[in-house]
Amino acid sequence: MTNDSDNSQTINLTINGVAVAASAAMTLVEAAWHGGVPRVTAVSCLESVCGSCRVLLRRGKEVTVNLACQTFVEEGIEAVFLPPQVPPLHHYEIGDFTDGWNIQARFHEIFPEASHCRNCHGCVRSCPKGIDVEGAIALAAAGHFRDAGEAFLECVMCELCDSACPELIAPAHVGLFCRRITAHFHLRPPNLIYRLEEQRKEKAGLAAGESHYTISPFVKGGSR
Amino acid sequence: MSMINAMPLAQARALYRPDADIGPPPELADPLALLNAFHPDYVSSSVAKLAVGANAGDNCQRELAELLQAEAIIDEADLAGAPVTDTDVLIIGGGGAGCAAALAAAERGARVLLVTKLRLGDSNTVMAEGGIQVAIEPDDSIQRHIEDTLRGGHDIGNPALVAAMAEDGPDVIRWLIHEGMQFEQEPSGDLCTRRAGGMSAARIVHCRDYTGLEMMRVLREAVIQHRSIEVWEQSPAVELLSNEIGQKCVGAVFKSLADGRFRMVRTHSVILATGGLGRLHLNGFPTSNHLGATGDGLVLAYRMGARLRDLDSFQYHPTGLVYPPHLSGKLVTEGVRAAGAQMLNAAGQRFIDELLPRDIVSAAILRECQEGRGIRVDDGRVGVWLDTPRLERSQPGLLERQFPKLLARARVSGIDPRLDPLLIHPTLHYQNGGVVIDVNGATTVPGLYAVGEVAGGIHGRNRIMGNALLDIISFGRRAGVAATSQRDRGPKKVTLEHVNRARRELTLAGIPLTHEAPQILPDYAAKGIWNR
Ligand SMILES: Cc1cc2nc3c(=O)[nH]c(=O)nc-3n(C[C@H](O)[C@H](O)[C@H](O)COP(=O)(O)OP(=O)(O)OC[C@H]3O[C@@H](n4cnc5c(N)ncnc54)[C@H](O)[C@@H]3O)c2cc1C
Ligand code: SF4
Ligand code: SF4
Ligand code: FES
Repeated sequence: MTNDSDNSQTINLTINGVAVAASAAMTLVEAAWHGGVPRVTAVSCLESVCGSCRVLLRRGKEVTVNLACQTFVEEGIEAVFLPPQVPPLHHYEIGDFTDGWNIQARFHEIFPEASHCRNCHGCVRSCPKGIDVEGAIALAAAGHFRDAGEAFLECVMCELCDSACPELIAPAHVGLFCRRITAHFHLRPPNLIYRLEEQRKEKAGLAAGESHYTISPFVKGGSR
Repeated sequence: MSMINAMPLAQARALYRPDADIGPPPELADPLALLNAFHPDYVSSSVAKLAVGANAGDNCQRELAELLQAEAIIDEADLAGAPVTDTDVLIIGGGGAGCAAALAAAERGARVLLVTKLRLGDSNTVMAEGGIQVAIEPDDSIQRHIEDTLRGGHDIGNPALVAAMAEDGPDVIRWLIHEGMQFEQEPSGDLCTRRAGGMSAARIVHCRDYTGLEMMRVLREAVIQHRSIEVWEQSPAVELLSNEIGQKCVGAVFKSLADGRFRMVRTHSVILATGGLGRLHLNGFPTSNHLGATGDGLVLAYRMGARLRDLDSFQYHPTGLVYPPHLSGKLVTEGVRAAGAQMLNAAGQRFIDELLPRDIVSAAILRECQEGRGIRVDDGRVGVWLDTPRLERSQPGLLERQFPKLLARARVSGIDPRLDPLLIHPTLHYQNGGVVIDVNGATTVPGLYAVGEVAGGIHGRNRIMGNALLDIISFGRRAGVAATSQRDRGPKKVTLEHVNRARRELTLAGIPLTHEAPQILPDYAAKGIWNR
């Protein structure tokens, strides 16, 4: 455990154009609250898992993006909270897919831009979770949906990769498509199906609306 | 907390030895006495009696009571000129329960409007790590799931709700898979199951340690992609709307966080799915919850006349982080203790069996802190050690394999739980009670449904792990279906009659109308008063 006694040191930065004097070891979110920066509402989980606190960071000439709740204050840094990414232009409902054999064709109909990747690394550079987005897009375009989806395991839906992509591929949504159809078509767990089948047979043997389960007299006070 | 006597962090750290010889914890002679003395639910100064409303005379946590008996944010004048939108089903809240309800209603052909405070998916759902309960193993049964849940809830849960939820379990998982959610599988293809506190069989299914994230991003995507669901973000509900006599819920009023404007929605079915209230920091506690968890749904439902229950029962999870400061209150999953991690006070002694029920373990930590055996950081907050280095020594590699999220979060601050013990303190985690509902999620007010953490009666006074993620989908879907079966043509007139009624009752009871509710955001996020 490190010591936190140096927290009182003052760090000067700007957030959404407002000058803020923060103390060291504050995140950009805390610094924004501390400095009274108005309208910082793109914040929720505070543990870098919801993807809402997208920020643009300027250190001199260098410009990067990150999640504000996992970025600490730095002297002189300029941070700007980004507006949410516009909704994707691609549309599908999972219930539309009835045949797994034509899923590659359907994928290219829904995401025609996915095969136009120009390998600019924009998505990879902007991903706060270190995901190889570019490589995963290539896998998806080649029909390797399971492997492509696996690459997005830690994806927090920040859509910073979508914002970065010059071809409007919407990589975050491609990633979700890959994960979703993998489960939708291939996840068929025997233990779950067995129990569902058991319930179906029990229901068939009961009058409509009747429940199979009884609320038996359980042990009183046993939880303490 | 700051007045408390405790050992400074640096001193405790210097004393700490991962290889020190420590014995078993002392025997706990009287658990009830421990709870009575230290658990916030049992400390009488934290409870008040409600004076007005459907629960007049009932016990309620003091700060929550203040919000339930507060003045509305708006009156008729605010609504003049506010645009009105019509929809078949209105859903308030974009977490797991709200999305499940939206999808179920849309599957039935309804036009659905889902309105949420922050961004779609900003929720407690997305943070869940552990998993979701479903009775699918051969040695398990729906019946046992029901009994474990009722017993865990101290035998006061509503058996009909519990049976409905447990019975739905397998079909909930089937539906989640249909929507595209992945789960951990055995080589045989069976879903992996784990056993946690209070369960008589292995019953937790999961997706690594990212179950909530996987669930939320799949449901969020399904909602975004659905043709008959419209989503409004950054638009907290500030009030419900009622019919001319204030007896039926017929819509809601939203205030944009972007421009402060009001908008009204008119409908015949409103589904409240606003989640919990950790960000009210009840009794001064830190919280594991997301920023929008301010109990708004309870306030709105109560003013509309709905009955609530168990308003004096909250779950304080034993292991919230004290340090690093920016993660204050954030959860260290129960899995770490289940894997064998022990807890030590400043003197390096164990003080409780770490695997007792959550309320008892939390009370024991609070006792150590209050009696001067805690460890203090510079800003005055106090905690005890969670001895992760010892766990790592006994099972090398375990932390990295099973708890990557924990290591990643600590790493940002230069902390390595394999070398440094974690400083922890109980954190406000879950609202056990909530709005009274039936098996369709219907409240006692016609036209108003409540699902997810905002609803009560399923988990009694204590929720066991994994049942929240199940309840939000089970009742979310039930309410979504029930809301579409409304046959009337919708409201002719929308009013604030229920607000006027509540104001009269407050005045009669002599309660000053100085506070306004719902809270919407914690003060530190809304008013620039964060300090550290
Ligand atoms: C850190 C953590 C770990 C957990 N782990 C587990 C676990 O392993 N297993 C388990 O079963 N449970 C777990 N839980 C509990 C479980 O995650 C939650 O109880 C459950 O997800 C709540 O779902 P919900 O949809 O009811 O609420 P939420 O997911 O919180 O969603 C509520 C939504 O309503 C919105 N909202 C709030 N107020 C308003 C308003 N006024 N107007 C409009 N919108 C509003 C919020 O912004 C949010 O989008 C955990 C909880 C936490 C915090
Ligand atoms: S893959 Fe895209 S959406 Fe996912 S975390 Fe990375 S940048 Fe964000
Ligand atoms: S940003 Fe778009 S075009 Fe560039 S590498 Fe990534 S996916 Fe390809
Ligand atoms: S607030 Fe959720 S990722 Fe930063």
